[in-house]
Amino acid sequence: MSSSATPETVLNCIDLWKVFGEGGAKAIAELGPDAPEGAFKERGLIVGARNVNVHVNRGEIFVVMGLSGSGKSTLVRCMTRLHEPTAGQLIVLGQDVTNLSRKELVDIRRNRLSMVFQDFALLPHLTVMGNVAFPLKVQGVDRKTREVKAKEMIDLVGLTGRENYFPDELSGGQQQRVGIARSLTTQPEVWFLDEPFSALDPLIRHDMQLEFLRIQKMLNKSIVFITHDFEEAVRLADRIAIMKNGSVIQQGPPEELVLNPADDYVKEFTKSIPKQKVLRVSAIMGPVDKGALSDVPIKASETVDTVVAQVLMSDGVLAVTDDDNTVVGSIHRRDLVPVIT
Amino acid sequence: MGENGQITSGMYFSGRNLIMTAIGIVIVLFCTLAPSAESVFTKFPKAWTIDLATPLGDFLKFLARKAEIGPFKFSQITRGFGALISQPYEGLKGVVATGFTLYHEEGGKSVIPPMAWTAVTAVFTIVAHHFGDRKLAIGTFATFMFFVVFGIWENAMLTLTLVTVSVLFATFIGLLLGLWGYKSQRINRALQPVYDIMQTLPLFSYLVPMILFFGFGPIASLIATIVFALPPMARVTTQSLQEVHTSVKEFGVMSGCSNRQMNWQVLIPAARKSLLLGVNQVIMLALSVVVISSLIGAGGLGGDVLKALKSLRIGDAVVAGVAVTLMAIVLDRISYAIAMRRPIHWDIAPTWMQRNWLLVKVLLALVGFTGLSFLVPALQLWPDAWVVQAGKSANQMISWISNNFHEQLSGFRDLFIIYLLKPVKLFLTGLPWIGVIAFFGTLGYLLDGWKLALLGIVIFLLIAVGGYWTKAMISLYLVVVSVVFATFIGLLLGILGAVNKPARVFLIAAVDTLQTMPMFVYLIPVVMLFSIGDFPAFVAIVLYAVTPAIRYTISALDRVKPSLIEGGLMSGCSGWQLMTQIKLPLGLPTMLMGLNQVIMLAFGMLVITALVGTRGLEEITLVAIARVQAGDGLLAGLAIAGMAIVFDRYVRAASAIAAYRMGVPNPNKGV
Ligand SMILES: Nc1ncnc2c1ncn2[C@@H]1O[C@H](COP(=O)(O)OP(=O)(O)O)[C@@H](O)[C@H]1O
Ligand SMILES: [Mg+2]
Repeated sequence: MSSSATPETVLNCIDLWKVFGEGGAKAIAELGPDAPEGAFKERGLIVGARNVNVHVNRGEIFVVMGLSGSGKSTLVRCMTRLHEPTAGQLIVLGQDVTNLSRKELVDIRRNRLSMVFQDFALLPHLTVMGNVAFPLKVQGVDRKTREVKAKEMIDLVGLTGRENYFPDELSGGQQQRVGIARSLTTQPEVWFLDEPFSALDPLIRHDMQLEFLRIQKMLNKSIVFITHDFEEAVRLADRIAIMKNGSVIQQGPPEELVLNPADDYVKEFTKSIPKQKVLRVSAIMGPVDKGALSDVPIKASETVDTVVAQVLMSDGVLAVTDDDNTVVGSIHRRDLVPVIT
Repeated sequence: MGENGQITSGMYFSGRNLIMTAIGIVIVLFCTLAPSAESVFTKFPKAWTIDLATPLGDFLKFLARKAEIGPFKFSQITRGFGALISQPYEGLKGVVATGFTLYHEEGGKSVIPPMAWTAVTAVFTIVAHHFGDRKLAIGTFATFMFFVVFGIWENAMLTLTLVTVSVLFATFIGLLLGLWGYKSQRINRALQPVYDIMQTLPLFSYLVPMILFFGFGPIASLIATIVFALPPMARVTTQSLQEVHTSVKEFGVMSGCSNRQMNWQVLIPAARKSLLLGVNQVIMLALSVVVISSLIGAGGLGGDVLKALKSLRIGDAVVAGVAVTLMAIVLDRISYAIAMRRPIHWDIAPTWMQRNWLLVKVLLALVGFTGLSFLVPALQLWPDAWVVQAGKSANQMISWISNNFHEQLSGFRDLFIIYLLKPVKLFLTGLPWIGVIAFFGTLGYLLDGWKLALLGIVIFLLIAVGGYWTKAMISLYLVVVSVVFATFIGLLLGILGAVNKPARVFLIAAVDTLQTMPMFVYLIPVVMLFSIGDFPAFVAIVLYAVTPAIRYTISALDRVKPSLIEGGLMSGCSGWQLMTQIKLPLGLPTMLMGLNQVIMLAFGMLVITALVGTRGLEEITLVAIARVQAGDGLLAGLAIAGMAIVFDRYVRAASAIAAYRMGVPNPNKGV
């Protein structure tokens, strides 16, 4: 994030709790925020999300990462109020969602939020076109208009020509493209994706991640992206929140998690992934060096692994520039040592 | 039953309640063996019974004739409902079966003929071909040809009309009820026992009040059919809506669907496959019931079977029975094909013609054959001269069989009667009532605690107090003997099917056919071979009830985890040991669910066997129709339903225990 202006917050969770079962709110009040899991279990309650404080800035990809059962889906469902939060506050697009009326809730869901699901959740009786146009149909938009909009989205996700196919005639990857197109027809501001690529084969998953980044570059949505795959999180995230047993135990940009893991749980994730894939040049570069070679400048925003070859082949110090080609630092072979070993 | 119930139910057997068990067994033994003399504990005293039938009958009559609800008389409401159903019925009947007769004021009349048989046959064949394959189309064509060639066209069309109308209503009402149950857990829980009773209450018991409310005739029979076929549709609806993926429901919410949009544009379409399979069930049930309810004057093929059975013209009954079976198979396969259809996309934007191709074909056939039939009358109405009188020759053939094989057949029958049926009947009817009740109480307690015990005790006590004890024991004896026999045969055949591929293919085909045959049809061959009485009834029940025993045994044995079997093989089990030590015990919970089905079907068929002269409660329900004794018919029916429900719950509990002990998932979870 650029440090010049404080970014606008589109979504803010404040001390958010979700406890499944009767009397959750009472239990939270009585047991306090640090009560062990067992204390809730004794009352027949399950803690889905515990005292979560996170926020999402406009235009960023905020990734929630954690093992299965750590409460990611619960958290994202609280954010959309598919689940009723048990305690805490939730501000979405300036509105306190925790006490919206049903009508206001329908309104905000129809126009400003949307969601992509792990198992696609397509309607089996509708074609690709029918599925993608469905959210507009629900709003009573006439057929012509909604099909024009839907067609745009179908083209955007690369399914041109498949408009008349039915979901079970498509591969998993194609089905999720439909899911993505469908979630974009209403031009939402906040986009929730709950493990959208987890059901796909690794190769297709990688394609879809690139595709997703391409779309995001065009649309610049504010995104909450759920995954259990740290590599995916690192590839996509501006910031990551790591969850464990319902709590967020660390959040920050990928580099920060990799360089300063808060505990062994986080360290375990970061270990599995080569540092040069996470760290950007800006994290390891030295100060501006007048004598640095600048004929082929290196971008500060690139991850280290993309520039390793170039840096290793060069004998001297190389200049590092930001996106506007202003020199912001320098890099030398020896700067790579702590990263690539 | 919940998670906890499952665990505790396992404990009832594991020794903690040994004392209770011992006491129960002592009571049972004492009560069954000790009293040689007549006492109030052996024979339920007449003085203790309460006549509920008369007041109930009077109440129903009062409802039918005088009762008022608000500004309306109850009879007006029922009549209004009857009219609602009779409109489509009369209309459709006129179109496909009887035509319309218009009476002129001057006294003459003109007749609009029904649709040409060629047109109807063509439409069904086209639909079958559209959704199914060539084989289905040929089968459908042959079936309708069978109707014309054997001269039962009009009755077949009448039956088809009854089925269509009742299916439409049952499906629609069932869908709404199911949706209601899906929306509210509480409503759903409240509806379950109502459905249980609706499904277990013998058909005949429905018919009497229907006669009271709607009069003798097709409307009463239609309504009885609707009521009977409704619960499965409602249940399927609730269950399949529950099974729609959570994410699909969440998607609906996230799109901002209104309640109505959620129901009709998300949930029901997403569940459409299971819902259509539910409709398929409703069709089969409706056909089965429509045929039987010819007893109250619905007419159609069922009427043919009934008339022929009564006058022992078995040949005619066979023709009508085959027609009903063929119709059942065709309707089953077509509706199944529709349910299983997968949508296929169009490569280029389809024209109107392409999109409505089925409709176009059907209309073309209708118009074409109707037009042609004006030129060639034989295409309109199959000429009488061409009708094959199969009934007569079949009658002759059957009397030939019974003349030549009379000795073998009756010898076979008498063997069973003397060594099996009679002794069991004497034993059960001779049991002291208090012993029987103690037995069910103890068993219920052992299976699932005092609640289940109470259910058994209360139901049997009510039967005794109602004055139906002896009749109930007669019903029970027939069910018990048939169930034991059917289970035994089914188990053997099922094991055979599980180990032998060709046998399995044959068995599954046989089971499929047996299951599509409407209940009524079973009576025809047994009456043909063994005349009337308990033995033909026994054979009919066994034939009808054996199918789930076979099916569940095969699938239970199939479903045992391969890893467990490999474990067995590694430890050197022989094939026989593998079966007896591993597969059978592990498949036990599922097989017990099969047993449950066997019992339910046995009760279902038991009721119908009243037509071949059995003497238990079912006889009361049948006689009540002729005498319009609504009270007696209903109470006897409730007694049968009660016994069926007791067995159902007991076997489910046993299955849960078996599942718990074998460490496999409970097969009746979620019921
Ligand atoms: N509807 C629910 N009722 C009760 N417990 C739930 C429900 N949904 C989720 N949970 C529990 O909450 C915890 C977190 O689940 P979830 O949010 O689905 O995890 P994740 O998406 O990270 O895999 C799990 O222990 C799960 O069993
Ligand atoms: Mg999840």
